[in-house]
Amino acid sequence: MTSTLPAVFSSELWIRRFADSARATEAQLTSLDQRVGDGDFGTNLALGTSAALARLDALTRPDDAAALDAAAAAFLDEVGGTSGPLFGLLLQSLATTVTPSGATAASLAEGVTDGLAAIRRVGDAAPGDKTLVDALTPAAEALRSASGSSRPDQALADAARAAWQGVRETARLRASMGRSSYLGERAEGIPDPGAVGVALLFASAADVVRDLGPHLDGDRPG
Amino acid sequence: MARYFENSSDALVSDALEGFALVHDDLITFDPQHGFLLARHTAPSRRVALVSGGGAGHEPMHAGYVGRGMLDAACPGRVFASPHNRQVYEGSRAAARPEGVLHIVKNYTGDRINFGIAAERLARCDIPCARVLISDDLASDADGIASGRRGTGGTVLIEKLLGAAADDGLGLAELQELGERLSARCRTLAVASAAHTAPTLGEPAFHLGADEIEYGVGIHGERASATARQGPLDALIDRMSEELIAALDPEPGSTLLTLVNGLGAVTPLELYAIHREFSRVLGRHGLSPARTLVGDYVTALDMRGFSLTLLVADPSDLPFYDAPVHTAALRW
Repeated sequence: MTSTLPAVFSSELWIRRFADSARATEAQLTSLDQRVGDGDFGTNLALGTSAALARLDALTRPDDAAALDAAAAAFLDEVGGTSGPLFGLLLQSLATTVTPSGATAASLAEGVTDGLAAIRRVGDAAPGDKTLVDALTPAAEALRSASGSSRPDQALADAARAAWQGVRETARLRASMGRSSYLGERAEGIPDPGAVGVALLFASAADVVRDLGPHLDGDRPG
Repeated sequence: MARYFENSSDALVSDALEGFALVHDDLITFDPQHGFLLARHTAPSRRVALVSGGGAGHEPMHAGYVGRGMLDAACPGRVFASPHNRQVYEGSRAAARPEGVLHIVKNYTGDRINFGIAAERLARCDIPCARVLISDDLASDADGIASGRRGTGGTVLIEKLLGAAADDGLGLAELQELGERLSARCRTLAVASAAHTAPTLGEPAFHLGADEIEYGVGIHGERASATARQGPLDALIDRMSEELIAALDPEPGSTLLTLVNGLGAVTPLELYAIHREFSRVLGRHGLSPARTLVGDYVTALDMRGFSLTLLVADPSDLPFYDAPVHTAALRW
């Protein structure tokens, strides 16, 4: 069982943690997006996660797939703009690969990889275009390479670290897609808000495992 | 100051859709919760549903083209804004035929993304979905424009032909192929002598000097990349027609469909005079339209402008054009 995640990890906890972090960073994301976009990303992310919470609250102990499905539907149906629904596509892919019996590092890796492919199909964005793809691509790679290792509990931490590294890369890039493409070099030095949102998503997953794992999961190396 | 007649700018689109649904109750149903219009009667021979959509402000497109022989469903967004993926997803699910759904999408980033998200969702429900991207606007055909040519007036001709082809029982891949061929051989060019009235301000969206026109406008009230002298009509249509002909390079005797389309505030009187000049220039190249539409089909609110569309069809496409159609805005 090399791909077993710490038992404390659940999709519902992940989404709830993500909602906390979207709420806590709404103002910063808004001011970031005011410099390179429409200025609505912070609000849309907070709106999507709070809609996800409302749907989770309506379910009784949802399994991993059901929790991700609820969050996906919230982002797809209730959030305007384009970045919010793209998060919905990612969550929908995760809901498809994660089995009701629980998420594994391998199933998360597969879901993120599929979600990345869907987002690239829909948005026609490639790595280097200064979009959320620049955070999602390294996160997917980190998950894939960690899912077969003997330290699957490190997979989420690796994914979060890789996503943040991707965010830093977007600050160096000039946009060729989306609203910030009209700004040319004026957007250089500013990270892409959608990429930050992706990093927050993986950081939330890593946080759930890091904060609760040592206390509730028994002895695990490291 | 020329304010819109509206209860509020937020309510105008939904109020208009409800009014449209009241008038055309025999042709369509309107789902206000999910924001799509659905044809009441489409041919039982259809294996694939045709779904289109885009911003409001282009009336009679798209609601006016839902019905027998044309679209199965349309998803209108807010004024000049793409529909939400949820509208497209729900409209497509409601309209889907056994062999799925064909999305007819005008080439704008927002429309592509929202229809694309809906297509991913449909795939998850095992509803086959393909896309025809319409990109006929010659003015945006430039190397520096990464997003490619915009989709404009030619949409109505392509939706008519695809509607008849769908009634003929063509499958999803065949319809997509036909739509792509038509889109590749269709170009439109538009000019405006005055801006539309901006909905929120009640003021013209921009100002032009006397005898100035915007050359190469789209359908969203934006300025063109160039301002030109209006001059006499024959010289203007000479220039526009020659550019369209040069872009498509049709053989003499080709089967041509043409559309002279008002953008909202040009009179029918002018549109017919424009068609006369358009035909004259085509004649100079040994060309004549096999079929022609003249009128307001794809508008930009009340922009004072018009577009010319040239579609180089196959002779075998003409029966699709001639096939009966019964929608609010197109019927024969």
